[in-house]
Amino acid sequence: MIASFSALPTVFSIGLQRQLAYRWNYLLRALFSAMPLLVSWVFWGAVFQGKSTVGSYTLASLLTYYAVLLIVESVSSPADDDFQISREIREGTLNSILLRPLPYGLYRAALFLSGRCAYLVAAAIPVLLCFFLLSRVVPLELGSIDLARGIPAILGSALLQFSLTLCLSLTSFWLLDISALIFLVYSLEFLAGGHVFPLDLLPPVLFRFAQCLPFAYEYWFPTAALCGTLSPSAWLTGMAMQFGWALFFILVAQGMWKAGLRKYTAAGG
Amino acid sequence: MSSLFHLFRLWLIQLRYATTRELAFRANFFIWVIVELSWFVLQLAFVDVVYQHVDSIAGWSRPQMIVLVATNQLIQQIFTAFLMPGLVKLPESVRDGKLDFILLKPAPPQFLISTSHLEIGPLANALIAAVVVALALHDLHITPSLSTLLLYLVLILAGLLTHYALLLSLVSLTFWIVQAESVLLGYYSIFQVARLPREAATGWFRILFTFALPLLLVANIPASTLLRGFEPASLLLFLLTCLTAAIFASLFFQLGLRRYQSASS
Repeated sequence: MIASFSALPTVFSIGLQRQLAYRWNYLLRALFSAMPLLVSWVFWGAVFQGKSTVGSYTLASLLTYYAVLLIVESVSSPADDDFQISREIREGTLNSILLRPLPYGLYRAALFLSGRCAYLVAAAIPVLLCFFLLSRVVPLELGSIDLARGIPAILGSALLQFSLTLCLSLTSFWLLDISALIFLVYSLEFLAGGHVFPLDLLPPVLFRFAQCLPFAYEYWFPTAALCGTLSPSAWLTGMAMQFGWALFFILVAQGMWKAGLRKYTAAGG
Repeated sequence: MSSLFHLFRLWLIQLRYATTRELAFRANFFIWVIVELSWFVLQLAFVDVVYQHVDSIAGWSRPQMIVLVATNQLIQQIFTAFLMPGLVKLPESVRDGKLDFILLKPAPPQFLISTSHLEIGPLANALIAAVVVALALHDLHITPSLSTLLLYLVLILAGLLTHYALLLSLVSLTFWIVQAESVLLGYYSIFQVARLPREAATGWFRILFTFALPLLLVANIPASTLLRGFEPASLLLFLLTCLTAAIFASLFFQLGLRRYQSASS
């Protein structure tokens, strides 16, 4: 087991090199990811015409939410890990990984981490540039940023998103094509995760319901924590829910992995 | 004229082949209808949440906004059915050299790439979007005349051409960037602009997305035609900009194609 852990830096390094080979892809991804922020600025600017607040938000605080969401997403969201895992299972390249003395979950975690690091390296400059340019034209409330509560919530979000991705991808043991399932969950993540609008704009009953689901802790919770809009008790409850859901998905993934391996057939020579 | 007829026949053959291939996976059809429908519901839910806090956005009431969002969905789904599936496969074909097989065929490569695949599922969602447009119009007590409906259909075609121009330009980047899968993310990100009411945009944003990339016109002009009637100046502007965008995209694709080097040994 200890030997397995010592292999992780090498897996991370290989993953990082592989990811950075496609840095233009990451650069484009980073540039395009700023587009929703621009659209939000135009749309919400029109919504706020003649109004000072919508729900508990001013225009500045709402746009800050979307800007911080951009950062949270770039740090914590998997890129195409789900499709990679699915391909490994479907095409049988999993065979060579199974022969290695390294737990598959840890192997994928190292690759996920390298992917996020590569993305940050390639995207850091364009995202910061976008942020700087936007802050010149868009009113942002960056003074209220709470790093002490925000960073643990972002790390928890990365863990939660990785474990959920692992669960979804492992369905490839039973399904031929999982892309429909992945896009269906994406849509749920966007709506119930606070990606399209902050969840506290929902009617109170729906907001409470959304807080029971895992999706809220992928985007809305870390973003609100980083924006500094959560009370200490709400933050603590959120962290407990976030890590609780992450643990749940890790256990489910472990069960799926064991059941899937029993069904998996390694063919070819 | 005869070459156009030849291309049309070729398109019908490609459609028949693609339909046969799609019907081999019937369960997939229903699953994708649900997936695309969930994204549409997401957009309508967003409209609903926002209109719980305001009565009007840039002069658009809730049912009017639904006409706009559903018109955008209608155009996007028709595009997703007929043209998008072929275009998004271009980066992979360039990377693994399968583009060779297309280039060897006696027909324009751009045409073959664009029409090589078909997805039937989005057509069901286009129908649902059309029903939502009709319901929202009913809510507004608007009964469009036959000429308005015909004009709406022509404008939908112009919208498709704009979608096509943008995605063709984006996937053509693959001739310069080896892994260009992010272009699909770019396409979806940029086309969020099409859902905005045109009146909400001001300054450089409005100029950029009206004249350079006419995304603010794609759904706005057809929806406005249904809601407020025929506006000749806007219509002419839309047709001119979408044609310019399509010509530019085609030239960009040809330029990229010259850089293509087969990946085979």
